[in-house]
Amino acid sequence: MDDSLNDWFCREILVHEGALMRYLLRCWFRREEIHDLRQDIYVRVYEAAAKARPAMPKSFMFTTARHLMIDRLRRGRVVSIEAMGDLDALNVLVDDLSPERRLSARQELKQLSAAIDRLPDRCREVVWLRRVEDLPQKEVALRMGISEKTVEKQVAKGARLIADYFHAGMAAPCVPTAQPLDAEQEN
Amino acid sequence: MAGSEQIEQTAAAWLARRDSGSWSSHDQARLEAWLDVATAHRIAFIRLDAAWQHSDRLKILRAGRSAAAVPPRGTRSAIRFRAAGDPRQRTATAAAPATTRTVRHALATRRRAQWWRYPAAMIAAVLIVALTLGWQRYGAVKQTSFQTALGALQQVSLADGSSAILSSDSRIVVTLSRRERHVDLQRGEAFFMVAKHAGRPFVVSANGRRVTAVGTRFAVRRDQTDLRVVVTEGVVRLEPGDHDGRERQPTTLLPAGSVALASDAGVVVHADSVQQAKAYLEWRNGFVSFHDTPLAAAVAEFNRYNVQKIAIADAAAGKLRIGGNFRWSNSRAFVRLLEQGFPIRAERRGDTIFLHHR
Repeated sequence: MDDSLNDWFCREILVHEGALMRYLLRCWFRREEIHDLRQDIYVRVYEAAAKARPAMPKSFMFTTARHLMIDRLRRGRVVSIEAMGDLDALNVLVDDLSPERRLSARQELKQLSAAIDRLPDRCREVVWLRRVEDLPQKEVALRMGISEKTVEKQVAKGARLIADYFHAGMAAPCVPTAQPLDAEQEN
Repeated sequence: MAGSEQIEQTAAAWLARRDSGSWSSHDQARLEAWLDVATAHRIAFIRLDAAWQHSDRLKILRAGRSAAAVPPRGTRSAIRFRAAGDPRQRTATAAAPATTRTVRHALATRRRAQWWRYPAAMIAAVLIVALTLGWQRYGAVKQTSFQTALGALQQVSLADGSSAILSSDSRIVVTLSRRERHVDLQRGEAFFMVAKHAGRPFVVSANGRRVTAVGTRFAVRRDQTDLRVVVTEGVVRLEPGDHDGRERQPTTLLPAGSVALASDAGVVVHADSVQQAKAYLEWRNGFVSFHDTPLAAAVAEFNRYNVQKIAIADAAAGKLRIGGNFRWSNSRAFVRLLEQGFPIRAERRGDTIFLHHR
């Protein structure tokens, strides 16, 4: 793996996941497609950055998002009056584009512990023992009296949920700060 | 190619396997082969791995804790994030610090004054501690209020672990005590995600009615004298307030999927599916949705979110029925669609758009 590219991706792209998700939720009415859409955006940004890192990663990501949405609409996968109304809106406002949301160590810890608190009971117990108490999975299984396979499954589940909470920054208030998109793109 | 959810699931399985402790170079090679298949695999793994690696920092929470028991939710946050400079954090944990600070202050005073020489000082200090503890146990801990401007949404975290999303132009006052968590909805609408605390009910009051829950998700909205409650998870109890002069109405239990409208005339409950109930809460995602809704009602809905108001100029226009999903922030697009698809003519006068029947 190209570690410097991966680091760049975490540092410059994933930190904006919360803003990106709010943007997608606002513009894309088909909720069930958003996970897919996010993946496509990340893939396109990652592949472009492998060739040359964009100078303005955040704007680049949002521009990519917009292009992908327009592509999808044009390909005719979505034909509805709502979507057309929203395509129009894509050009109007992008919320949450403005302040950089880099977390201080303290905020990050707070966000992580909020994330862990939101896990379902058993999952939370597994993740707590594994990550906070730092016990190996084998011992977590012994202590909870469940199989190692189950612990592994709960770790997988926990990792996904924590990633969602952590990257999306659910704790951050979403105060809309409207800003024209055109000023942000093609820099 | 597999769907993105599927890919994320596989990536998580790899991560958990690697975390399990029995990880050979053969496993590593297989993981790398999987990552090489598609960029989508790689980014899914990087994304999960980044958060998981970060969660390593949680070890710090173990400090000062003897047994390796898993503590109940939310216990740490009150202790560890106290003196935060960030106002956001302060609102989240506002309830706890005031009292602890008083106790600490009292103890410091005792040490400095060589307390054994001053029985009065000692008694006073003990009294302060006792009163503080008593107050903490029985009284109201802290009142916090939140409000949003027209056209704004805000998600707020409450000190008990619950959270709320305030709709446009809304205001709540939160009072947390040991016996009850109380929210006064003074204006607008809010959606609540309630943390479970048996024996400490979560009560929202508005328009003389009380909506009680113990760990569930629901929204309450006020319209002049009416109240609307939408439940998407768990059960809530809707009861009339005890102080009002109107005819005593019975208490109603609302299961998930209920949409209850309470007015002076009584309470009407639609028991829909949760999915249908959620349609009433699309505002959280920036949408309003209508199904065979009279235009007058749809316009009133838009006006909850926008400074620029829409008015119905004649009754015939108000009676047209419309459907669809619209972004509430874009009332212009809404009006334009009306002009294109309905016998409606819009006229702009100052801050208001008047809709006439053509």
